[in-house]
Amino acid sequence: MAAYIIRRLLILPLILLGVTFLIFSMIWSLGPERLIGTYVKSPEALKSESAVERIIEKYGLNEPLPVQYAKWLGNVFQGDFGYSNVGRTGVREAITARLPYTAELAVYSIIPVVAVGIWLGVVAGKNQNKFKDHSIRIFAIIGWSLPDYVFGLLILLVFYSILGWFPPGYLSQESLDVLRSDTWTSVTKFATIDAIINWRWDIFVDAIRHLIAPIITLSYLWWAFLLRITRSSMLEVMRKDYVRTARAKGLSEKVVINKHVKRNAMIPVATVAGGMIVQLFAGAVIVETIFSRPGLGNFTASAAVQLDYFSIIGSAMFFSTILILANLVVDISYALIDPRIRLS
Amino acid sequence: MAKRFFLLFLVCLVSLVGFSAVKNPDTIITATYGSPETFDPQAMWDTSSGEVCIALYDNLIMYDGDTINFLPMISTEVPTMENGLLTPDGKTYTFPIRKGVKFHTGNDLTPADVEYTFERGFLGDNSSGAYTLIIEAVSGGKYFSISDWFEDWAGMAYSDAVVEKEPVSEEAKEKLIAFYNEVIDPLFVVEGDNFVVNMKGSFGPFLYTIVRYAGWAGILDSAYMKELGAWDGKADGWWKWHDLQPEESPIHMSDAGSGPFKVNVWDQENQQVVLDRFDGYWQGPAKIKRVILRDVQEYSTRKALLEAGDVDCIAVDAIYRGVFDDNPDLQVIEGFPRAQVTSLHMTWGVDPNSEYLGSGKLDGNGMPADFFNDMNVRKAILTAFNYDALIEDLVNGLGERVPTDLPKGFFGYDGTLPMYEFDLDAAEQAWKEAYNGEAWENGFKIVAMYNSGNEIRQTCCEMVKVYTESLNPKFKVEVLGAQWPTYLKATREELCPLYSIGWVADYPDAHNFFSTYYHSKGYYGKRHGGDYPQLAADLGIDELVETGVSEPNPEKRIEIYRKLQEIVIENYIATPLYMPQGLYVGRAWLKGYFPHPLRSNGDTTPDYYYAWKE
Repeated sequence: MAAYIIRRLLILPLILLGVTFLIFSMIWSLGPERLIGTYVKSPEALKSESAVERIIEKYGLNEPLPVQYAKWLGNVFQGDFGYSNVGRTGVREAITARLPYTAELAVYSIIPVVAVGIWLGVVAGKNQNKFKDHSIRIFAIIGWSLPDYVFGLLILLVFYSILGWFPPGYLSQESLDVLRSDTWTSVTKFATIDAIINWRWDIFVDAIRHLIAPIITLSYLWWAFLLRITRSSMLEVMRKDYVRTARAKGLSEKVVINKHVKRNAMIPVATVAGGMIVQLFAGAVIVETIFSRPGLGNFTASAAVQLDYFSIIGSAMFFSTILILANLVVDISYALIDPRIRLS
Repeated sequence: MAKRFFLLFLVCLVSLVGFSAVKNPDTIITATYGSPETFDPQAMWDTSSGEVCIALYDNLIMYDGDTINFLPMISTEVPTMENGLLTPDGKTYTFPIRKGVKFHTGNDLTPADVEYTFERGFLGDNSSGAYTLIIEAVSGGKYFSISDWFEDWAGMAYSDAVVEKEPVSEEAKEKLIAFYNEVIDPLFVVEGDNFVVNMKGSFGPFLYTIVRYAGWAGILDSAYMKELGAWDGKADGWWKWHDLQPEESPIHMSDAGSGPFKVNVWDQENQQVVLDRFDGYWQGPAKIKRVILRDVQEYSTRKALLEAGDVDCIAVDAIYRGVFDDNPDLQVIEGFPRAQVTSLHMTWGVDPNSEYLGSGKLDGNGMPADFFNDMNVRKAILTAFNYDALIEDLVNGLGERVPTDLPKGFFGYDGTLPMYEFDLDAAEQAWKEAYNGEAWENGFKIVAMYNSGNEIRQTCCEMVKVYTESLNPKFKVEVLGAQWPTYLKATREELCPLYSIGWVADYPDAHNFFSTYYHSKGYYGKRHGGDYPQLAADLGIDELVETGVSEPNPEKRIEIYRKLQEIVIENYIATPLYMPQGLYVGRAWLKGYFPHPLRSNGDTTPDYYYAWKE
């Protein structure tokens, strides 16, 4: 298995090279006259006769693609991923600074997503075509058909505008002031964990208040997906001969479900759950925008809108890396869940 | 007993509802969309940066409240011919500099700081900044950039003289040093307690380019700037600081000003700027202690934040007019003029290789490259446009018609001038006369373009399509949305036949719009192409624009601009659709708001120095 993991990790740089070259080519195919749109936000800025030429020259937009790409790659090897117009700093610094915000949201979301999603799937599977099953399926259909931005706005309306419980944003202004002060020690960059480290329960509660609505939004959509996968998988496994044999042996239904059905039904679920980590990061694009939270999602969306190409490439590299690593974890988890699978 | 409890409950309820406590009484929090580009005033030209710079810096003069009249600020007097601080030829301005003004660093503001500021702005001439406006003014309308000025003076292109921030030769270096000593340095002079500007030619709107709300003209703390590594004030080496990236400025995220607020933090991740009150401000400290500017992209989120009282005012688009009218906790002000015009641009000479020309012939599948050279075509398009429907339905009544491409209230505006009427019969007649009747007989296909995401421009193009196509089944108008970079290229290179455009004022003077729209070398004027340069010369348009700006007598300027506007209306060169009006929505507890068309985000947020909460 070690050889397999090393081999997969060695492929990673090649994939990143391909991804970055592809994006680079697509962006550069726009040509220098279009690329100045990255630096020019209004026609007023092009008022002077020579403004266009000056901007093209200033940012080197007229150089051939291979030259541009080689320059960028050379800089990347030196740790310079270019300047992010959206982040107002280097791309690497911008992504690194925003990663903890999204990671915190994703980590806290994955717990309810997996726990509740699988539990609902199991309950639905166990009670096929009964009231519980129908209710859960309706719940799933609603979740699956609601666009995330609509559901997010609905959550914002109910839990903030009407009930006033869960405000948008990352933290309240008072808490942000504390975080920016010298008295604050930032260890993990997760507000919840750092609040515990700093022994500030008020900030911990504040962080949780700001996390709940985005987590509900992210989770509901994935509950719907995960419970459907779990349910079908459960139903399929429950029809297997070994399950019938287990029942015929006189084992209790609880033992049959927990020992023989659930474990086998989890194999396809693990595949989906692995890819879901990436999807949760991607889902953050909408959720962070609606709930006005900082993070990679918000950053990537702004970069795409503003054609901030260095940031787009940087984000793509980051997401590609996460995707590859997540797939690797899924493959490894396969082998752990199902002893019949051997990685070579 | 129960009745008494009920009454007590009612009193408590009324108290809670009627006297809801002011949240964050010492802090104003705003939620708009768009975050600043930079805090260096000389490197910015966007409204978000402008809003911040206005709070951080002082200018030589300022506007009087919500008017466009001037008041003294750092200059103790506004130069005029009457007070002798402006010479009769309109070329020399003298600003007596106020004493006792402190920068945020504690340094005293002196005339030398003002001189440094202007010279740094000129020599730095950031290509994404607005100093080009002051360069245009001080050069008497001759140059828009220092590199152009240098090229004209030295006989060599700036890009040939300096490569990678170093002069290419000793000769180039000498020329660069001499350019500063002989051209730039004499423009800005300190004479005792006065700062003097020696213009190369009279330029009527000069003061508008440096007044407060022209955030780029804020005065810098020269000693602090030099300490931070900005231009050292010397002739030798100025090119090292020429046209830097905004982020290379030492005050990209901080400030070197004397304004009523100073930078606390620019939190990039949380997308907010926090400004703290400067207690040593020479006009007395602001009433509030802190300003927080939040960038909240989603309208629903901004609305929710406002209604909950967590922010004090938000950016609201015209389509949401009326949404907040019934909320007693909010204050809505609407209908005030904004410093911009939305127009319809017709390219008189489309690039023959343009993909948007179709067949290039009048065969129903395209149009000739010079289609809009024909005045009847322009007339037909402009009379087949329902201006009132645009204003009433599309912008919810938050707009007003203007006779030419100049906002109402600006110097040179004349409301008595005629405006185009929506008249389909007249449009039909014009089409029948266009191209000797060929257009009517054979039909055409025109591409009308807008930048994707701009719904107002999209609908303007669609209105052209609906009304034009209704006249003749052989007429086709294809409405095409393009991403901003593509739109920019297509419009700049005369590729697109017809498109909706807009211009936001840099200063409240006719020249800003007339030179842009009507001069054959103006930003939009030159994009007409075709016969336009010749026509602009024949009709005297170029000459009127040029004499208008250099005429020192305001009454004569008004006459010139009246004549100019009559010409562009008669010849269907003026193509205004409407002037947008502002919509301000804030909490009722936020006091002191007044709209000003020239203040960055002035239709959304207050001038923080004058605002408070109660």
